[in-house]
Amino acid sequence: MAVQAQRQATAAPARPRPKRVREEEVLVWPDLVFIEFISAVLFTITFVILSVFINAPLLNRANLDVTPNPSKAPWYFLNLQELLLHMDKAWAGVLIPTIALGFFAAIPFIDRSRHLQGLWFGTKYSVRITVVTIIYATVVSFGLVVVDAGDTTGTERFTRWIPSCAEAAEDVGWPCLRDEAGAEHKGIVSTKDISKRLEFEVVGVKWPEDLDHIAWPFNDSIGDWDLGFIGLGNIHGWGGEHLNIPAAIAEQVIPLTLTIVVFPGLIIYTMFRLGWVRTRRDVMIVMYTGVIFAYLTLAMVGSFFRGEGQDLIAPWNIKVDEG
Amino acid sequence: MSSTEEPGKPRNLSERIQLLQDRIYDRLFHNYIWQSIFRSGYPNTPRNQMLVVATNVFLHLHPTRLQRTHVRVTYTYCLGGLTFFMFIVLTITGVLLMFYYVPSVDRAYQDIAALETNVRFGLLMRNMHRWTAHAMVILVFLHMMRVFYTGAYKPPREFNWVVGVVLLVLTLVLSFTGYLLPWDQLALWAVTVGHGIGGSSPYLGDEVQTVVFGGFEIGQPALIRFYTLHVIALPLLAAIMMAVHFWRIRRDGGMARPL
Repeated sequence: MAVQAQRQATAAPARPRPKRVREEEVLVWPDLVFIEFISAVLFTITFVILSVFINAPLLNRANLDVTPNPSKAPWYFLNLQELLLHMDKAWAGVLIPTIALGFFAAIPFIDRSRHLQGLWFGTKYSVRITVVTIIYATVVSFGLVVVDAGDTTGTERFTRWIPSCAEAAEDVGWPCLRDEAGAEHKGIVSTKDISKRLEFEVVGVKWPEDLDHIAWPFNDSIGDWDLGFIGLGNIHGWGGEHLNIPAAIAEQVIPLTLTIVVFPGLIIYTMFRLGWVRTRRDVMIVMYTGVIFAYLTLAMVGSFFRGEGQDLIAPWNIKVDEG
Repeated sequence: MSSTEEPGKPRNLSERIQLLQDRIYDRLFHNYIWQSIFRSGYPNTPRNQMLVVATNVFLHLHPTRLQRTHVRVTYTYCLGGLTFFMFIVLTITGVLLMFYYVPSVDRAYQDIAALETNVRFGLLMRNMHRWTAHAMVILVFLHMMRVFYTGAYKPPREFNWVVGVVLLVLTLVLSFTGYLLPWDQLALWAVTVGHGIGGSSPYLGDEVQTVVFGGFEIGQPALIRFYTLHVIALPLLAAIMMAVHFWRIRRDGGMARPL
């Protein structure tokens, strides 16, 4: 501490430190205690009035035999429930929230400068960065949901040129889409279709059936080896016994690359080239704002745009079948 | 005060009233019992105003003096303080709700229904508990955003920001565990969604479902786990983390200010 202070003192010419002036300080009693008391009273009154007029919901008694459609998590977890529709459930429910919280916790250890603290929007362009990121995160999140939402949005028209697979065809060369018997032919309606409906063949390797059953360490077995005897038998495979490459690409690689790498990278790079993002603090503002507003947008989608069977519909069309 | 001076004889009515006021004030605030509770005098001088903060266990979380900019409402919007206040309101209303609630799948729903109809102010208490719980989640997010956009996580407050992230998680988990307790369809199926999400943890899905939810279906084991976590374990943990959070604000030099 002392050494550091000394080094600082010798290294840089002493910048006159702003003096702590007594006049700038106020006494906590009464100035702060008064504000705290008033805000507590205002909130108490607000919530008493709110609670007199609006009742907490109480539906029918819990019944495991009757599933409401749609069933929804509390609003602050609806974003995770929304992600479940678009990607692998381990990423949507557990890993992405963990990464987000880890990122939050890591912010002060990445942006270590002491400058511009204690000021709303300290850096030169931070207001602009924040506003643009809010719009960007909201539009991109909503856009991705719409594109990946399924057959109610009509976005499958982009890929309708991919033909339907012939009913009895064993060997397909060109990409085609496997339609369920009697179903209307549609393009790729969600990313998951890439592993479930898309079929093609490259140099004798067929997608997906040759690639969805590859041995994977730490499952119950590798080939004919039973790993139970060294205690690994109880470790549960992630996504089944074997590595499923088409599913991994459709449900992990594509959605994660887009949401974690491509879209955040694009906005940060663009703003960097525009000269708006100049410090780590700016990068943190973009990333933090992006995460918060993507979270918020997905919670909104989950709350107001998901109806029966988790279909994407307009808020005024939502009816909940409570069973 | 007035007892040390020799009171002259009152000459007119206003002097009589003044004398009476002084005596009442003396009796109320300068007696043995009052002074055994409140060591400092009435906070009408700067010295006593600082003492009243420094000698009171509840107020001493504050410093005695503060920068004028930090008292401005538009700097903090009181968000952290209000989050804490929501926690206090939730504790009070929660304790009252516990008087009428038995965490059993056979009784829970009837208890809540009875609370709403048979208990005086029961519905009001439940409504207050519900709405302040939502408010606490919103406020804790807004507080986090305030701290972020004012750059208040910067050194030397890095660790306190991490404590704040832990408190965010605790708030969400507290809210989620409370969601199941009314044992109605909303509660059951919302927690079933959470149960599915927990079950999707890589490698540990079954273990999470067994340990946290008490099995592969939401039933009595889940209810008693959520109840215990909701009413004692998590509030205790949150209170400890809040103590650390508030303590560290003081230790790290009060609220962030421009260097």
